[in-house]
Amino acid sequence: MPQLPFDTVLIANRGEIAARIVKTLRKLGLRSAVAYHEIDARTPAVSMADLAIQISGNTPIASYLDTRQIIAAADQARAGALHPGYGLLSENAEFARAVTDTGIAFIGPLPDTIELMGDKIRARNFVQSNGFPVTPCVIEEDDPATFASRAQAMGAPLLVKPSAGGGGKGMRIVRDLNTLEAAIEQARSEAGRYFGDARLYAERHLEYPRHIEVQVLGDRLGNVVHLYERECSVQRRFQKIIEETPSPALSQELRARICDTAVRIARAANYRNAGTVEFLLSGDDFYFLEMNTRLQVEHPVTEMITGVDLVAEQIYAAAGRELAFSQSDIVSNGHAIELRLYAEAPERGYAPTTGKVLLLEYPNDVRIDSGIMQGQHITPAFDPMLAKIIVHSPSRMESVLKAHRAVRELVLLGCETNANLLARIVSDEAFLGGHFHVGYLEQNPHLAAGNFSAGMSAFLASAALLTRPVRDSADAVPELHSALGNWRN
Amino acid sequence: MYHSFEVDGVDHTLWLSASRHGYRLHLRDEVIAPVAFTERSDSSGILTIAGQSEPVRFVIDGELIHLHIRGRTRTLRYIDPLGAYAAGNDGTCPLVARAPMPGRVVAITVSPGDSVSAGTALMMIESMKLETIIRSPQDGIVERIHVKENESFEHDAVLVTLSKEGF
Repeated sequence: MPQLPFDTVLIANRGEIAARIVKTLRKLGLRSAVAYHEIDARTPAVSMADLAIQISGNTPIASYLDTRQIIAAADQARAGALHPGYGLLSENAEFARAVTDTGIAFIGPLPDTIELMGDKIRARNFVQSNGFPVTPCVIEEDDPATFASRAQAMGAPLLVKPSAGGGGKGMRIVRDLNTLEAAIEQARSEAGRYFGDARLYAERHLEYPRHIEVQVLGDRLGNVVHLYERECSVQRRFQKIIEETPSPALSQELRARICDTAVRIARAANYRNAGTVEFLLSGDDFYFLEMNTRLQVEHPVTEMITGVDLVAEQIYAAAGRELAFSQSDIVSNGHAIELRLYAEAPERGYAPTTGKVLLLEYPNDVRIDSGIMQGQHITPAFDPMLAKIIVHSPSRMESVLKAHRAVRELVLLGCETNANLLARIVSDEAFLGGHFHVGYLEQNPHLAAGNFSAGMSAFLASAALLTRPVRDSADAVPELHSALGNWRN
Repeated sequence: MYHSFEVDGVDHTLWLSASRHGYRLHLRDEVIAPVAFTERSDSSGILTIAGQSEPVRFVIDGELIHLHIRGRTRTLRYIDPLGAYAAGNDGTCPLVARAPMPGRVVAITVSPGDSVSAGTALMMIESMKLETIIRSPQDGIVERIHVKENESFEHDAVLVTLSKEGF
């Protein structure tokens, strides 16, 4: 293969994804550089990268969003390409243009594609006009004066959404049409606050659909392939926590149909690089939700079942290479599950948690994409995701068992996490049977609440025996005829 | 002598006594014996409890004891007995559940007259956009609920009064 046109890649990201990208760069014989804020000095990516360049800002997050500093860091590293990871600047078309304009290859699709898919209304219209299914919807700016009455005419339940949205922010479900006006006002004010863009639309709300998405890869020559689907229905507050592939909800026929639809949408958009087409599945019908023009958090499950390194493919695509395989070369093998470890307390309404990682031990025989190290402080400055546990087995049942074992073997002391919840989900009957949807956790609050007193006596016994004053007071009054234990410290 | 550990906002009172093969653990309503703990390194050990051996990973950080046992992680806080005595919980006053922070009542899950155990959820509150469950600090009977759903309250406000069972 011809040499890549660059030998150094700047990673404009942090946490587990920055570390994961470094690994592939190393494998491809490329130099890795990361731009990092001081607060992240003790993280895996900074310690693993060949070069780490410090950036600063009013807040840690502001420094990672500072286009000027990021591009200056790329220059300083003599990087010929830039990987944006996910989140942060990864879906910012202006940023992608600025990077390209300085002669650095942006590892992602064309800025115009990012722009098209980043605007939810334009993306919907584009997909619909190409003949693909979208949920019925009305758009405010078509005729602002009649927006509420047009939404009303569509009937409940409705979802009012910001056009510029993402991550569930500003979204309102309307089940009672009398509350529609209030929901529109709330969504408008949140949209203005979060995205600086108050435009709205309303769509038919599917009650408890499943979230199915398809990984696609495209090259400069117009070749597009899919790498099968991912099921991401286990969510809390519109945020995914467990993903798997293949989806237990799809028949072979439906799987082929949804994957083919994703390829045709990507092809229509002249899509280059890795991307994900998201759908909502209700019964045997699926509807386009949105397209993410970047690497997804949950990409590893696809890598496990296909054996394709998606970051390597992104780098090849950005270098202008033709895809090295065709659709029939991509074989789905076994079953993979990803569990997202978050610094949060599901038992207390998923409140974010903080602390210092005092002890960290990962399970063996599974893939861990980690953004933390022992000794690191977990702060509220960023998204609470700490690490991902990825398992791969021949069957779904074996994967589920492996995931359960792995999450119970993981030891992280010093910062509360959602590990107990993850263990409860992967041993829950509905999850084991593959019967769940995006409302699964909301409908099963006992999963988040947990069993407060389960196994408490072992904890109390350990704490008592490890606490000097508690043992001292027992030792001070030894039982008659009993010898003192041979306790130290 | 009694000692207390706090877990997720609930106090657990216990004491240890020496026995022939280690210790006896006296909990509120049971005695477990023998119990013993063998340290294997500065962060791992084996707990023997009622004939079972459990590997334990631990870190002690001041009054906090972080433990990982059988796939489950919990942090327990050792409550200094002198500090607890000063707080004057001598058992004669009615028990109360107080607001850990200012907020608003989302839902009340008990009614006056209900019998509750330590750890039973009394109500869900919302504070700084986060929902938190207020749990009963001890076993008892719900005597009075001082707030209504949707009502706001200040830090340390009395939310629920409990009376001891059998009173």
